[in-house]
Amino acid sequence: MSFESQEKSLRELCESLLRDGKVKSVAGFGPQSPDTGLSPPLIAKTAGNAKRLSWNSRCVPSIARYLIGRDGPAAIAAKPCDARAVASLVTERQLERKDVFIIGMECAGMTDGSGAPLRACAECGTRRAPVCDAEITGAPETARGTRDAAEDFSPERFRREMDKCILCFSCRQACYGCYCETCFMDRGVPSWQSARPDVGAKMTYHLGRAMHLAGRCVECGACENVCASGVDARYLIRAATVFVEEEYGFRAGMDAQTPSALLTFKSDDPETGFWKDGKHD
Amino acid sequence: MNEWTPVIAAFLCNWCSYAGADLAGTGRQQYPPYMRIIRVPCSGRVNPIFIIKALIDGADGVMVSGCHPGDCHYLAGNMYARRRFAVLKKLLSSAGIDPDRVHFTWVSASEGARFAEVARGVANAVKALGPNRIAGGDSQ
Repeated sequence: MSFESQEKSLRELCESLLRDGKVKSVAGFGPQSPDTGLSPPLIAKTAGNAKRLSWNSRCVPSIARYLIGRDGPAAIAAKPCDARAVASLVTERQLERKDVFIIGMECAGMTDGSGAPLRACAECGTRRAPVCDAEITGAPETARGTRDAAEDFSPERFRREMDKCILCFSCRQACYGCYCETCFMDRGVPSWQSARPDVGAKMTYHLGRAMHLAGRCVECGACENVCASGVDARYLIRAATVFVEEEYGFRAGMDAQTPSALLTFKSDDPETGFWKDGKHD
Repeated sequence: MNEWTPVIAAFLCNWCSYAGADLAGTGRQQYPPYMRIIRVPCSGRVNPIFIIKALIDGADGVMVSGCHPGDCHYLAGNMYARRRFAVLKKLLSSAGIDPDRVHFTWVSASEGARFAEVARGVANAVKALGPNRIAGGDSQ
């Protein structure tokens, strides 16, 4: 099995990186949990601990956020989406490129407990990290996916998804991009959310988060994977991602230099939906 | 019964559109009295959450107006705002908020007549949609 050969190479590389003092820690995935089968995030700080790093089809979580605020250079065993997240964090000055050693793991897509590909992975056509310092290839061949071009972004669907949401904010906690010290939803003054978890509070949260992730989402699917209520938590964000790609030709995290589409502008940007003397454009 | 009038929150930039609204007033240009004007330093100061919150808390419409592209007092605030608003408008329609409730435009300090005209146009567009029932219509 090629997962095993990738895992062996990963352990060897990380052990030498830690032993030689090239990095102070490695963010990766630990041994699979006997209950869920998931590989939880693991931060290895010694060569001995690097032996516990794992690589399998259940390395589901997004781990880029564990690099933020880490002392000294760190390596990351990155799925392509993690590598994109790191690149995106570099453009946002949350990380210094020189402090992160990206080990790009060739990725065949992660699976759920039953072995079926996760939704985000089924849509993802990226097997190899667009930005990396070392690469470990050898993932099994799988069909490359694409996004559903005719996806339903209707208000009815939004309402259905909102009915399921219980405002637990797991999606925020799992997201690489939600690193604000105080989320707007947790702020008391001014308070953006109403006192009860009604439709208004859910809309505020999901619209606000979609705005914050517009042009920054790396489509790792961490938000939808952690949702306990089965909400398609990426639904609005995906609408924004598609729009930003079409309108500004930008995909987040494809390199570590280009700032996100909403952090920059062109003088002749299209004014889609703007008021133009009595009528809409 | 009086005729129903909408509540429209208008975020106007201090340097252009707010002065334009002022000029509309001193020039005796008529525009709807239910335009609730909120002065902001720049259209780039308008956090999309302001707009979302206004709509969810019962505003029937929102209008945002700033300096024309290239004329920003802070050089590029309206350029960042332009991208942000385009994305927001797209998201609002996916979330079931009628795009005609939210309007973005540029009005300079010398365009008093144009401000009145845009304000009337926005008011008519919002009026045609009726009261805002986005959050179930139970919040006021």
